[in-house]
Amino acid sequence: MSQNSNHFVLPGDVISNGSSSLKQNVILEGDKLVSTTIGFTENNDGAVDVIALTGLYTSEVDDLVIGKIVSHNSLSWEVNINSSYRAMLPASDIFGKDYSPSRDDLSLKLIIGDIILARIVNSDSRRPLITINGQNLGKIDDGELIKISPAKVPRLIGKHGSMIQSIEESTGASITIGQNGWVVVSCEKTNGLLKAIMAIRMVEEQAHVVDLTDKVKKMLQSNGVE
Amino acid sequence: MGGRKTDLVLLDKNGIRCDGRKVDETRKVTIKAGVLKNASGSAYIEFGGNKILAGVFGPRDVHPKHMADPDTGILRVRYHMEPFSVGERKNPAPSRREIEISKVVKEALEPAVMLENFPRTATDVFLEILQADGGTRCAALSAASVALADAGIPMRDLVCGCAAGKAADTLILDVNNEEDQAGQADMPIGYMPNLGKITLLQLDGVLTPDEFKKCIELGVVGCKQVYEIQKKALHEKYFSNGGSS
Amino acid sequence: MTSTSIIDKLKRNKILDLLKEGKRIDGRELDEFRPLHIDTGVIPHADGSARVRLGDTEIVAGIKIQPDRPFPDMGDKGIFICTAEILPLAHPDVETGPPPPPVIELARVVDRGIRESGMIDLSQMVLEKDKSVIGLFADNVVTDHDGNLFDACSYASVAAIITSKIPKWEIKDDKPVLVEGELSDAPITTIPVSITMGRIDDFIIVDPNLDEWECLDARITITTNSDGNVVALQKGGSSGFTVDQLVKCSELSISGAGKIRDIIKQATKTNQ
Repeated sequence: MSQNSNHFVLPGDVISNGSSSLKQNVILEGDKLVSTTIGFTENNDGAVDVIALTGLYTSEVDDLVIGKIVSHNSLSWEVNINSSYRAMLPASDIFGKDYSPSRDDLSLKLIIGDIILARIVNSDSRRPLITINGQNLGKIDDGELIKISPAKVPRLIGKHGSMIQSIEESTGASITIGQNGWVVVSCEKTNGLLKAIMAIRMVEEQAHVVDLTDKVKKMLQSNGVE
Repeated sequence: MGGRKTDLVLLDKNGIRCDGRKVDETRKVTIKAGVLKNASGSAYIEFGGNKILAGVFGPRDVHPKHMADPDTGILRVRYHMEPFSVGERKNPAPSRREIEISKVVKEALEPAVMLENFPRTATDVFLEILQADGGTRCAALSAASVALADAGIPMRDLVCGCAAGKAADTLILDVNNEEDQAGQADMPIGYMPNLGKITLLQLDGVLTPDEFKKCIELGVVGCKQVYEIQKKALHEKYFSNGGSS
Repeated sequence: MTSTSIIDKLKRNKILDLLKEGKRIDGRELDEFRPLHIDTGVIPHADGSARVRLGDTEIVAGIKIQPDRPFPDMGDKGIFICTAEILPLAHPDVETGPPPPPVIELARVVDRGIRESGMIDLSQMVLEKDKSVIGLFADNVVTDHDGNLFDACSYASVAAIITSKIPKWEIKDDKPVLVEGELSDAPITTIPVSITMGRIDDFIIVDPNLDEWECLDARITITTNSDGNVVALQKGGSSGFTVDQLVKCSELSISGAGKIRDIIKQATKTNQ
């Protein structure tokens, strides 16, 4: 980690006195900086962030997310992205700018229950806006949807993608990770699929354990899946 | 309740209470965070004979929609006792007492939770009393706070609860069921330990102004002890190495 | 659970694909139960209690025993009533308020399985014929919902009843008066075990978890007693079973019940 020691904090814990510039999950109470969540502190050029270890996904522009269509009206689809708010996917995203509600039927393209890979366009808290216009974005036809805590996503990806690559190579599975903690796993071999799912669950449960990457490797190799 | 001894000694000549405690001693408290799979956050507390489960969902969409607040998220609390939680089987339908306690606990948590950044949402806290033994609202409040933190709801402080009271003309900490029934005063307290603010306060009984002051101070001491247990529960789940969370 | 739960299309397809290979999404065989853990005496102040964990489904059952008036025309029998409630903390889609029809069905199916097996000898729970009897309430609360509440609640109630202690009452001045310190075991004659199965296309799966439950075409709960006789049935879901499928279900339930009964006996340490 960085050269400054990082501390584990709980809501209400004082991080420091004085007011360095406020970052995420930190508030000023009187003259003290206080954490608002369970997490660990990270010093970034004198400003203190608290990296949350729990909580729903809060959308950030450009994040890749996996979502599930939960409803639609004639103008847009409403998408569950594991956030406090449902995301909106406007019909014009698929039908184009000359989209016409009377002519273009949304349910022909995406129906309730469909799983999509999308990108956050706008994270205004009224309703996050997403798009499926882009390479590899759009409806996901095949695979198993696994849900983990968004706080564990960096751990599942690993340093430079090391953890996720290790799981993919060992099992032959293809894994798509959304920043919102939703993950799609597909694999031609049933065995590989079940092993990959087990590995993902293991990372989620033991995210804070040291040498997790080695532990996961051992688990994947132990049952003879290569 | 039928069959209870009427000559129960609340405080003997050695200053020992009916359950063996000293006057400034709380009952045994244990808390475990993250005990449910489906809830976003959860906690289980045993506070003396009280056994209480807390589950949190949210911030999430509000139904019915007319209850949503365009400026801030709202907090909803439901305190509910199971039929088998008390001496005489309780009807599952909500009683007036449960409705009042739900409101009081909600108002004890509101100063701590920061829902201004989640307009038009609701955060739901469900408190299920599996076994009641005096002081359920303080125990439930303490569990609720841990469950909210476990769910990642932003909070400016945790909230801890403990009751103080009076029995046999003596101020006591953490009133148990017998002391509540046969004693002279019962004062449940909810407290934000870092901000030093009391967010829940009720009283049954009679206290002189001086007793009132001392009773609150005693209760706050108890709250701080509960706070240590809350921190321990969250540390165990999130910060301990080698175990599964 | 509301009927508007979104069926995950991806999930139903994957479940079917795996079933064709003889597997399920959590790695189980089609006739395999999830791990079952039963703890008794978890609510010491109640007259009996049990906590069941069936996979990720969790139930707490509490027994309350108190004097009551008998039902009309059944003055020589005690009272047994079973209830169930899905607590709102068990799943994000649970609404508060009076129990909806599926939860009423759950309570009545669990009740019937226990009642029709004759598990509790109600004739031994009479204080004064036609006037005063002992009532035993089994209240189930679901604290975590991952499917198959029928079986989980049944096991919790059964284990709680087996380990419950009945106080003694005497009739004095026409009223039942508690005699302190005298407790007796519940009068148990058999151990009913319910096994719930679901059908997806032509596949029969035992102990569906919640994901599977939401994709079922039909389901059936079969309760058998210690003699291996069928004592209660409940079919649900919006589609049907062929007769052959039902026969297969009954075979599965009898073979599965043996193992479950052993787990219940172990948890309650009886020789019934």
